[in-house]
Amino acid sequence: MSGGNGFEPRIVAYVCNWCTYLGADLAGTARLEYPPNVRIIRLPCTGRIDTNLVVKAFEVGADAVLVSGCHPGDCHYTAGNYHARRRWMLFRDLLEVVGFDMRRIHFTWISAAEGKKFQQTITEITEQTRALGPYRPYEASGAGVAACQPALACGAGAFACQPAPNGGAGALACQRSQTQLRETAARLLSEGAVKVVIGYGARGPVFVTRPEEAARLVWNESCFANLTTYLKRKEVRALGKPAIVVKGCDERALVALEKESQVERAEIYSIGMACQGMGQPKCAACDTRQPRYADETIGSADAPAPPPTADRYAALDPLLRQPPEERLAFWTAEFDRCLKCYACRQVCPMCYCERCLADKNRPQAIDSSPTRKGNFAWHLSRAIHLAGRCVGCDECTRGCPAGIDLRLLNLALAEAAETQFGYRAGMDPASEPLMGAYSLTDKEEFIG
Amino acid sequence: MNILTREELRKLVGEWIAAGKTCMGPVRVKPETVLFARLAKAGDLLLDGWVRPANSIKELLLPRHEVLYGYRIEKNRIELVDQPETAPGQIAIGAHPCDAAALPILDKVFNWDYRDEAYNRRREATTVITLACAGWDEECFCTSVGLGPDAERGSDAILFDRGDGRFQVRSLTEKGRALLGEGQGAASGVADPPPARFDPAQVASFAKEHFDDAFWKEHALACLGCGACAYTCPVCHCFDIVDEGNSREGVRARNWDACQFPLFTLHASGHNPRGEQGGRQRQRVYHKFYLYPEKFGDILCTGCGNCARNCPVGLGVLPLVAKIPHAEPV
Repeated sequence: MSGGNGFEPRIVAYVCNWCTYLGADLAGTARLEYPPNVRIIRLPCTGRIDTNLVVKAFEVGADAVLVSGCHPGDCHYTAGNYHARRRWMLFRDLLEVVGFDMRRIHFTWISAAEGKKFQQTITEITEQTRALGPYRPYEASGAGVAACQPALACGAGAFACQPAPNGGAGALACQRSQTQLRETAARLLSEGAVKVVIGYGARGPVFVTRPEEAARLVWNESCFANLTTYLKRKEVRALGKPAIVVKGCDERALVALEKESQVERAEIYSIGMACQGMGQPKCAACDTRQPRYADETIGSADAPAPPPTADRYAALDPLLRQPPEERLAFWTAEFDRCLKCYACRQVCPMCYCERCLADKNRPQAIDSSPTRKGNFAWHLSRAIHLAGRCVGCDECTRGCPAGIDLRLLNLALAEAAETQFGYRAGMDPASEPLMGAYSLTDKEEFIG
Repeated sequence: MNILTREELRKLVGEWIAAGKTCMGPVRVKPETVLFARLAKAGDLLLDGWVRPANSIKELLLPRHEVLYGYRIEKNRIELVDQPETAPGQIAIGAHPCDAAALPILDKVFNWDYRDEAYNRRREATTVITLACAGWDEECFCTSVGLGPDAERGSDAILFDRGDGRFQVRSLTEKGRALLGEGQGAASGVADPPPARFDPAQVASFAKEHFDDAFWKEHALACLGCGACAYTCPVCHCFDIVDEGNSREGVRARNWDACQFPLFTLHASGHNPRGEQGGRQRQRVYHKFYLYPEKFGDILCTGCGNCARNCPVGLGVLPLVAKIPHAEPV
């Protein structure tokens, strides 16, 4: 089994209990020889193989990873492999953008009768990995904290809503909307329709509980935060039925949260604010300036034609033009700045788990240390957990004190969701959540 | 020397880096983000164009992740692997008075009932070259906690930007003199102190008497429970000890932790004595303005304003304590 350079690759195979593991067993009982470089880890079903395990394998020194389960239609649990297939489609796109070497991540379907195929697969992967050499993605670049690369930096746009020196039309419209918003809040509170109005204040979110305090609400160019993240906070829930100020883009979170049974739409009064853009990167290709499902909408956006799909993901282009090693170096430098303050998670309206995977410490699911491994594990987990769910509000990026461009990970997954499944989170209340569903016709050309 | 030009300073920094010292200074990592970071080259050092970096220099003394010791297991043999007894020399360049002042404050807690070796090793190896503030923003409140734009506490040397590409140099300690010589330059180009924003004594007395007050709950409603404030604070110093490794080798490490996380106080039983965010925000104010001063005689806050600048929802020490009744400066 020795190669020319003496390098023996370590291959981790995550296999399902019912098909591939039995296929491996068959290969053994049939006395089929295959390289001993593979470490097989048996799991109940491919549907139960956390993407985090792939990352974990590379953390502990694997040179290649194989994930293998039952052929479509053969799943012991009916559809575990279909769910897995969809998840892996998006996960592959994520790893690609981060710059992992995709030649080292393999997917196959191997049935209990395919001992021969197991033998061939392991032999091929071993040979291929041997030729590629050892893989140490976390040592790939000693980038450390680097001064910024202008090529990858995103510039800020102009504030559409900024009060012009002589009071332009935009500023006047803002002023009118603000007055109307305050009137609405006061009315809802004095009628008793809601107990609290969650809105924007002079220097951050405010929670208005008395009609006479409605003047604390503002509507201006700094109302770019997505307030729907407060709907999960128990301290806010304890206040009673809320009215919440949402822009058209924030509303996507409401739609997505309702689809995931996190909010009862009837228990929330949404005050939609038509928006002309807040000058944020997310505003450049926005096609949801006018709220669509609000209980009441204030103002009207001069609805611009929806920009072409490509524009939504244009920020990815400079990154995608780089070779994988450069992308990995870019993310290494980004993640090396991570403090693990979890601002990205806490501000996210879609991160609502009562106890996050990262906080599970018996045993520790993800290294809590802000080391390179720990940071990669965290950010890849965070991103994939938001795959097909992120509504693109960019709060994670805005909240990051270290200026990590998390937006690009979310964009990459959003692009994958849109191009592969025609799905955009929170756009259509009728569509099934992407990651909760599967289709028999999901593409699987990457599966051997 | 009393005067250094920018080029001379950079040249010195380059020499220190070449000599193997860890140099930390402000670096622009993104168009809108300046951080204290290890300088790969003197050219990365950014000496103006910012009010203050989004983090602090505490990382030189209390790294966000620090291996305390390791283990190795081979067959029946277990070996403990100690960390080196001496820390490499490290220099903070371009710290502000609110960064430098944090060091003597931290010294007290790391040398109280237990002398923290790892901390002290780094502390002894660290030299702080402060840059007096030429400006401040609305989040700055150093004057409210007894400091100011040219406060010398904790600095080994202080630089004053004359505005003509040259710095007045004032060495304050042996360590400072060792790097910059005997300079006794006069103050120059220092910003007028920001106005006092609150009276810390009033904050302490309010805290002492209002533990169960609705104030905390009401004003912490917007808090989302991240650690951005604590992790970018020059003096927040709570940590967690974790074991990471496998059956062959691993480490025991110390990582930053923050009182704003529910996990910080979660008991193994599942009970959490600090179950709501209001209590966590209260804890932060208590520790800084009441508990720490009572125990160590220092306010656990240098008025840098990083908490407020980094808070995604506009909270922070100043926005919170400014709402405390009768907290206005006397």
